[in-house]
Amino acid sequence: MRQFLSSILLPCLSLAALAPSTALGTSTSDYHEQLVLRPLPLSSLLASFNFRSNTTLSAFEAHNFQLFPRSLGQILQHAGTRELHLRFNLGRWDAESWGARPWDGAREGGTGVELWAWLDAETDEEADQKWLILTNALSGLFCASLNFIDGTRTTRPAMSFQPEGDHRNSTAANTHLLYGVLPHEVVCTENLTPFLKLLPCKGKAGIASLLDGHKLFDASWQSMAIDVRPVCPTQGECVLEIEQTIDMVLDIERSKRPRGNPIPRPPPSYELNCDKSKPYSADDTCFPADYAASQEWSLQTVFGKVMKGTCPLTDPSVLPVCLQVPESRTVFISNGAVEKKDPNMEQRCFEVPAEADFEMILPRPEGQQELKSQEEMQAQDLIKPETPLLYAERSFTGHGQERGGVQTILKNPSPDTEVEFIYMESLPWFMRIYTHTIEARIDGHPGKHNSLIQQVYYRPAVDRARGTQLELRMRVPPSSTVFLTYDFEKSILRYTEYPPDANRGFDVAAAVITILNPNNTDGKFAAYNLRTTSLLLNLPTPDFSMPYNVIIFTSTAIALAFGGMFNILVRRFVAADEGPQFNIAGLKSKLKAKFGKVAQKLDKGAVPNKVPDEKSDGARVVSGDSEKK
Amino acid sequence: MPRLLSSALRIRRDPRLLKIPPYLSLLCILVGVVWLFLLPLDEYSRRTYISENALLPGQVHTYFGGSDQNVFRAYKHEVNALEDKSNLEINDKLESIIKGIGLKVGRQNFTYNSAGNVYSGENLYALLKAPRGDATEAIVLVAAWKNTKEELNRNGVALVLTLARYFKRWSLWSKDIIFLVTPDSIAGPQAWVDAYHDAHDSSRVDRLPLKSGALQGAIAIDYTQQERFESVHIIYDGVNGQLPNLDLINSVSNIAGGQMGMGVAIQEMWHHDNKYPDRLRTMLRGMLKQGLGLASGPHSSFIPYHVDAVTLQPFGRGWQDEMAMGRVIEGTFRSLNNLLEHLHQSFFFYLLMHRDRFVSIGTYLPSAMLVAANFTIMAIALWVKSGQPELNKEAAKKNEEFEVNPNNSAVERDLFLPLGFVTGCQFLSVIPLYLFNHAPESTLTPIFAVFTVLNLLLPYGLSHLITTYYAPTAQQYQMIRSFSLLLLGMFLSSLATLNFSLSLIVGVLSTPLTFMQPWPESPALRTFCTVLLNAIAPTMVLVIGASVWRLEISDVLREAAFAWDVYGMYSSIVVWCVWWPAWLAASVTVLGKPVPAATRRGKEKAKTA
Repeated sequence: MRQFLSSILLPCLSLAALAPSTALGTSTSDYHEQLVLRPLPLSSLLASFNFRSNTTLSAFEAHNFQLFPRSLGQILQHAGTRELHLRFNLGRWDAESWGARPWDGAREGGTGVELWAWLDAETDEEADQKWLILTNALSGLFCASLNFIDGTRTTRPAMSFQPEGDHRNSTAANTHLLYGVLPHEVVCTENLTPFLKLLPCKGKAGIASLLDGHKLFDASWQSMAIDVRPVCPTQGECVLEIEQTIDMVLDIERSKRPRGNPIPRPPPSYELNCDKSKPYSADDTCFPADYAASQEWSLQTVFGKVMKGTCPLTDPSVLPVCLQVPESRTVFISNGAVEKKDPNMEQRCFEVPAEADFEMILPRPEGQQELKSQEEMQAQDLIKPETPLLYAERSFTGHGQERGGVQTILKNPSPDTEVEFIYMESLPWFMRIYTHTIEARIDGHPGKHNSLIQQVYYRPAVDRARGTQLELRMRVPPSSTVFLTYDFEKSILRYTEYPPDANRGFDVAAAVITILNPNNTDGKFAAYNLRTTSLLLNLPTPDFSMPYNVIIFTSTAIALAFGGMFNILVRRFVAADEGPQFNIAGLKSKLKAKFGKVAQKLDKGAVPNKVPDEKSDGARVVSGDSEKK
Repeated sequence: MPRLLSSALRIRRDPRLLKIPPYLSLLCILVGVVWLFLLPLDEYSRRTYISENALLPGQVHTYFGGSDQNVFRAYKHEVNALEDKSNLEINDKLESIIKGIGLKVGRQNFTYNSAGNVYSGENLYALLKAPRGDATEAIVLVAAWKNTKEELNRNGVALVLTLARYFKRWSLWSKDIIFLVTPDSIAGPQAWVDAYHDAHDSSRVDRLPLKSGALQGAIAIDYTQQERFESVHIIYDGVNGQLPNLDLINSVSNIAGGQMGMGVAIQEMWHHDNKYPDRLRTMLRGMLKQGLGLASGPHSSFIPYHVDAVTLQPFGRGWQDEMAMGRVIEGTFRSLNNLLEHLHQSFFFYLLMHRDRFVSIGTYLPSAMLVAANFTIMAIALWVKSGQPELNKEAAKKNEEFEVNPNNSAVERDLFLPLGFVTGCQFLSVIPLYLFNHAPESTLTPIFAVFTVLNLLLPYGLSHLITTYYAPTAQQYQMIRSFSLLLLGMFLSSLATLNFSLSLIVGVLSTPLTFMQPWPESPALRTFCTVLLNAIAPTMVLVIGASVWRLEISDVLREAAFAWDVYGMYSSIVVWCVWWPAWLAASVTVLGKPVPAATRRGKEKAKTA
């Protein structure tokens, strides 16, 4: 225990005493953080927060946590997890305006929550068991419904994912990759709080102090990622590295709205930014100036607060805040901070005083009025966004309750390079795809192009047990658009299988596209990752008030019909003229017969019996017989 | 029970039973029609209510106004400047404005051919991505450049642009918003909606370059009025008489009428005192529009895809300005934005008679069903009758208490001629259907004139044909009527569940067909029936209808062909393939001269001998 305490306390104390210099004996601190700000076209701002720390594998196995979060570490140990990737995503990345994704798409997931991990297990069953433990534990830790990742939402990708960390060959044989996704999970502040708690400085100091739920979840796109992987340097001990990333694209105009007054009321007319060149321009007529024009912003206005110094645990050699704008633009920073330009990357970074607040203001660029065209303006104010390797867009085709289709449009913008990638869909079981309809065709060239799909991995769904897994290895020729389509049939669910909440439809998880690295020399498997948007699948839904009406109605009908039917079946029917007669005529004839007999006795052989009387006698005998039977 | 069974058996054999069906049919018709006229009464109609609690109409503050009016004026200047420009120039300008707002723009070409005319144009639409949404759902705001009366939708387009800019500032949208500007009111939206659901014919309509998720609702603005308005007119009729969810109409009426204090009107009833005559008029207008099944605005094309949509049209002189109209749309969009699930709670089958009174399908359906049932009853009665021996009038007169001899109760039915004739009539109906939907516009009116005249002569020709070659008996005439009425009753009762009004209109116009029979001995009655039948012939009804509403026949025919070609209106199928064959069969029956069965048999024997 003492040893454990000292191991925790010592670095902290020494850091506190000597911070932030590199006084520790080890080469560098185990923790660093960095915020990269990059203005994007259409008045947006990309903010990428990156926090990274590590622990040696031996210390990890000895439950000796320093900067590595203990809560997460224990879960990983308990569930035998070698490598973990967890993603919380909200919104859409607008690739056409914003260009390539940050981190080449490696630090983001599809809408909702996505989790994939390599687990240490001898058998598939053991892996499933550990996966269950992992999802349930993470669900508690991150306040997300990860425990709903059950067998139907779990797949074992065959081609799409490769471990990012260094795994020893002996252990790699026994690791199982499991992948689960919750497309309908709404990411919100309850997920951010546990995320920040994993950081050594929480949200109290350093760049994490800028993170505020209100701004983060008002962003046009945001992604929170946690990646845990073992890293083995060429010399030295293997370490377990945890990287936490938050990327967000803020709409500058929307973020600048004060927190106390978030309603976008129309501004007073004198504040409107009008295009005065229009002939009709007047006090009461205002053609609004282009939205795309760069705006002035500062950390305070965009994030709602200033940065509170630096985290004392961070590695001072990594500068905490960087800004990516053309060199021509001026930036104002608060006193004590130092600007350091990196000429190669068109990036300037700022050294921030440890104890003081840091503020940065990016004013509106000068001379904007002279330049007319939007493109010119953008070229001057912003670094040109990088063109992504591939654009992907997926949507449903068809309508109705029975069948549908999925169409993915894959566009390769490059004029000379072919893109090869793996397209993975994990579909719910109630969406039964027709594999014979999978077809890829190049826009403008009708007919099938079988060469586009090079390899197919298909694992069919099992009703109520397992979803469909479809992985396609495809290629898209240079500067062409490929349509990938397939049809599916919608199953009818049992009525208890509908979720109890409002029936919005069922979310279908994003397709995962992993673009393969053509020259796989640096060990990087994927050159670029992207996800399509998720889809909303409408299944035939009963009107749930109907069953009750039907139950009531059928009960009534059965009660009435059964009563009558039962009566008919059980009663014995005798024709009217066969049964004993109780009408007056019968009575009369009987009496007559009686009297006749008496009269006969009195007056022997004088009057013969009438024919009807005989009949009635006979009838009586017959009915009497039947009664005896 | 046994007594009941045996008495039922006895009644079945009662010859008086066969005298009942015509009266029963008449009763059905009368009850059906009277039923309809009872509907506007307070006892049979209900007040509307919001069934979907998530909508919360009129519960939000609307902020559209203030300096947005300055922007609106500027956009209106831009729209006015484009008044006489071509579709492409208009779209180029609108695209630059919308891109300036910061939205993505898509364009789509379409070309439709109908009655020799080409309807082509280019749709322009912009997508406002919900800031925190995931592209799974969307709502649409439509403004056609020209409304259905070919007037420039000046304020509507400018309002859509201003609202796009205003909506962009909000971060609360849970669904994407699509702003659609189409060159016309019917073909453009149809092409767009078809392409959105990938149900388009790719040779005529381009696919959409930009898409979002499932459409949850659509609002169209038809705002041509220049001066300030008083009330909002809600147009809700969809293609083929399909209607949007009543909750949508109620929400708009609640927001406009309740929150904004405007008047709300439906079915062009500019003044409505909510008394019986006005309610009845509103309901009948609604039924007529539903029965015709024509698209009534840009919203109509959305409804077949289960996207609830209405068109809003300001009218009257008052003090409401464009901003008020914008606030109505803002309020409606906020309500739609609240939806957690697709609109499904309230009614899809209803008749509105005032903005807050309606009858639901359970109450009004019996009316059309009774009218349809009268044909079926008569058809069954005729079938039974045809199986009984023919009575000689003289014999019947001689023997008043003639009872059906049980040994002779079933007569062999000669099915070939009746079946063949009714089938032939049904097949003949393909000719007018094809002609009126495929002929070029210039020839439509002459074709119609020729067809109307031929239609007068056709029954005589057919009657002459079958009497000369087949010499049908009274039994065969009965069976012709039976089959034709059976088909009519069957079609109309199933149609009543799809398009109540169309079924009722056709049903009521065909009621005389129930009572048509050959009159060999009474030329006066035969002439009367022929005249009556010609007055209710589909062609004649079309002519009379056009003259009552002061429409050109050519316009009506062109419109019908357009509706068939562009948005698949099926009213023409009902007219030509359901109504017209039944009418033809009845007309031929009236002119028929049945041959007594005995003579015919004798003739046949003679022939074979």
